[in-house]
Amino acid sequence: MAATLFRSTLASCAFAPPLSVAVFFVVVTAVASLLWGAGPVSAADALPVLFGQGSEEARFVVTELRLPRLVTGIVTGLSLAIAGALLQALTRNPLAEPGLLGVSGGSAFAVAVAILLGASSATMTTLVSQTGALAGCSLVMLATRSRGLAADPVRLVLAGATVTGLLLSLTSVLMLADQRAADEIRFWITGSIAGTPLSHLRAVLPSLVVAGILVVIVASPLAALSLGERTAMGLGHRPGRIRVLVIVAVALLVGAATALAGPLVFVGLVVPYIARAAAGPDIRKTLWLCLPIGPALLLLADTLARVIAAPSELPLGVITALIGAPVLLIIVRSGRMPTL
Amino acid sequence: MLYPIRHQLAAPLVALLLACLYQPLLADTRTIPTAYGDVTVEGQPESIVTLYEGALDSAIAVGAQPVGAIITRGGQSVASYIEEAAGVIEIVGAPGETNLEAVIALQPDLILAAARTSEEQYQLLSRIAPTVVLAVTPYQHDTWKRELALFARALGREDRARDVIERVEQRAAEVRRQVETVIPEDQRDTALVRWMPQGPLVMAEGLFSATVLASAGFEVDDAGLVSEGRPHSQPLSQENLSLMDRNWIFLATLNEDGREALEAARQAPAFKRLVANESGRILPVDGTLWTSASGPLAALAILDEIEAALK
Amino acid sequence: MKTFAMTRQRNLYANLALTLALVIAATASLALGTVAIPPGAIIDVLAGGGDTIHQFVIRELRLPRVLAGVLTGAAFALAGCMMQTIARNRLATPGIIGIDNAATAFAVASVVGAGLSIAPSAMALSGAAAATALAFGLAGANGTRGYRFIIAGLGIGAIAGAITQVMLSRVAIDAANAAFPWTVGSLNARSQDAVQILAIGLVIGYGLAIALGPALKTLQFSDPVAINLGTRLKRIRTLSLACAVLLTGLAVSVAGPVGMVALLAPELARALSRPGKVPLTASALAGAAFMVTADLAGRLVLSPLELPVGLVTAIAGSPYLIWILVKPSSRSLS
Repeated sequence: MAATLFRSTLASCAFAPPLSVAVFFVVVTAVASLLWGAGPVSAADALPVLFGQGSEEARFVVTELRLPRLVTGIVTGLSLAIAGALLQALTRNPLAEPGLLGVSGGSAFAVAVAILLGASSATMTTLVSQTGALAGCSLVMLATRSRGLAADPVRLVLAGATVTGLLLSLTSVLMLADQRAADEIRFWITGSIAGTPLSHLRAVLPSLVVAGILVVIVASPLAALSLGERTAMGLGHRPGRIRVLVIVAVALLVGAATALAGPLVFVGLVVPYIARAAAGPDIRKTLWLCLPIGPALLLLADTLARVIAAPSELPLGVITALIGAPVLLIIVRSGRMPTL
Repeated sequence: MLYPIRHQLAAPLVALLLACLYQPLLADTRTIPTAYGDVTVEGQPESIVTLYEGALDSAIAVGAQPVGAIITRGGQSVASYIEEAAGVIEIVGAPGETNLEAVIALQPDLILAAARTSEEQYQLLSRIAPTVVLAVTPYQHDTWKRELALFARALGREDRARDVIERVEQRAAEVRRQVETVIPEDQRDTALVRWMPQGPLVMAEGLFSATVLASAGFEVDDAGLVSEGRPHSQPLSQENLSLMDRNWIFLATLNEDGREALEAARQAPAFKRLVANESGRILPVDGTLWTSASGPLAALAILDEIEAALK
Repeated sequence: MKTFAMTRQRNLYANLALTLALVIAATASLALGTVAIPPGAIIDVLAGGGDTIHQFVIRELRLPRVLAGVLTGAAFALAGCMMQTIARNRLATPGIIGIDNAATAFAVASVVGAGLSIAPSAMALSGAAAATALAFGLAGANGTRGYRFIIAGLGIGAIAGAITQVMLSRVAIDAANAAFPWTVGSLNARSQDAVQILAIGLVIGYGLAIALGPALKTLQFSDPVAINLGTRLKRIRTLSLACAVLLTGLAVSVAGPVGMVALLAPELARALSRPGKVPLTASALAGAAFMVTADLAGRLVLSPLELPVGLVTAIAGSPYLIWILVKPSSRSLS
């Protein structure tokens, strides 16, 4: 049933080639992330494990360390990618990225407060993180609506950067207030999916299901909205309600991703950009393509983070920033900026 | 029978002569070699400010009572192991961030500062009171002894320093005997680590608490993961946890509640596989004492914890 | 003619009021602290007398710190004001477009990398210059105008921030904690050499800014209008940008990134001054007063421990910032 639906969507959208390429990439990066790591278990040791063989040590590293990380990476990558695509469609701004607009910042600040107050349960962290993301998202939307920032992509991003900077400073205040929490917050704020317990993953799943349903509901109305508010209303959609639903979905997704991996910038910018470049501006196609491209990018970044600095690891957030910032520059250079 | 008479006469004479010749020495003026040249201190300073945890520890150990100190890393006051001995003490800043005005308000006549005090900071401090910034090579097995000797000299309590060192050595030998009876020789390998959410930091084998562990008969080994002159390694990837797989692991925590940190560490699948975890030989210890403090009192406190762990 | 005289007067009053605020803040900074000093004693000390403890506290501790605060505050604010004007956007300050971050990354590199013995001033300045040049180059033909320059700066700032994080995560945790106040902006452990270099830089920067003042004013209009008014746009923009880079780089080398001053001080100056003017002097005065007040607050709130000035400005500035972001309408720069 789901398969037929999937196939019919594919056929109707006629963007099977890019989608299959993207799926191919996610498979490649997933296998790579199982094969390479910072430890003594090399690709040659790990390969037999994929076929049910290999040494006990290699089996342990692949199934107990790299596999959970792979799953976390997939969930985080697709959450951020979808959130970015939604936010960009909503603001009609290709630079509207959760990390740049302060949504991740709000979420990170909320979690830092929770760490300071001694919260340790995964469910609690997820809730707090999503609440923070919602606050950040609402502030951005408020700024957009009241000052006509939507018409000017740069001003929206500047406003977001300002809010992000502010939230980072406030997080720093918390770190000074309690140095004990500081090490934990400092680790977390750079972003990483190393050693995220599976209990965290289970804690975010229900909200991701809700977010997924919301995305399915808003995808078509959002596409209509991109033709203009009047057209959308003529087609029977209510723009106000769509916006609220999109904001809630973005907050759930970004909050979940931040709770899992810390604030990761630029994933929500790069992935939808690639998706749009491959499949055109239709938000439904973009969303479909984001599903494989998001995880592929995140897994690629995470594998790099492990390999570059072995036997320790680089923070994942640093790698995504190093990958993402040049893409930001490419978008700016391409001059196609205000065309969403 | 002339000898006793001559002796009776000679003793006061010699004393008088010495007193005349070495008058400044008797008034007890001492020169201490420091990172910023020789510093001269007279008499036994009364009002002492310590800007380094090792200096606070050394000063109290030789019987001085500092009036001001900095907070321990991660705490709100001095480290808890020394809190009682320190008594009422003013806080004059955090490590690396001294509030000079708070130092002045205490009107110290001696300041004992950390080795990494910058020259600019030193210039200001030395105008408040004679300031001792030691130039002792860090992370050596006898770093704390050499620091203690120099701090004690500055404090005019050099004689006490020898007693203190002897006391620590005796105590270490005592604990060592117990270690040697309880633990077979091939099972005394140990790692000292700090647990971070992304993986462990291996502490240097030259770190103060690691040298105390070694003096108590453990074989501490950082597996070459810590580069020269560093207190600890970079956080290891969890895939490399086997590099710190030893019979004994002392798990220094960032806060004083070690058990919580141990529980957090045990959630990591790789941690469960460690030899020491299976045999219950992972011991959570107070990080402010084990990774931040140094000095003879800290050594005694650490030895107490080691002794308790054997039971 | 009459209105002209009146507005001239308004600017004068604005500058006088800001100078008064600066003097009050500076005096309070000299008087307050862990060691209490009565106002009379301050005058004694400044006149060359007073008792030795008061002399030491004021001359060696508080006065240099107040001076550093005045210089950095003025430099950040002046740079912010110029940047906002040439980008025609009140949010486009050096901090937001990545100049602060790049200067910090370079300065941290010189502190962390034992091999590098170049002074942080030079490093911070070259970081600021490199980031700006890169943003300028990447922005292509339209230079500092429009969105490209700003977005390119944002991207470069993000990269610089990431590099700073990597460097700090490579050093010992205690060293990272020790470097932390400076990476968020602090006047506690400033280097006296850097302060002196900043003083020279500020004199040059301020002179250049005043010389550019009339041309900057025309930049507020659209390009054709500005060209009609005889402004040589490209040269003016390049000079202003160089000036902002110089001021920001040197100020960062003293106090670390305190971006909020560059954002808020010009706002305050603009609110007080004559509409349509580019309030350079007023911005510098407002920045200095803001910085000194914030540093004083940071010294007093948690005494004997300190709150870094960068965090105080962020906390104090945030309500206002959020208000400008969400308020219904405003005097726009663009």
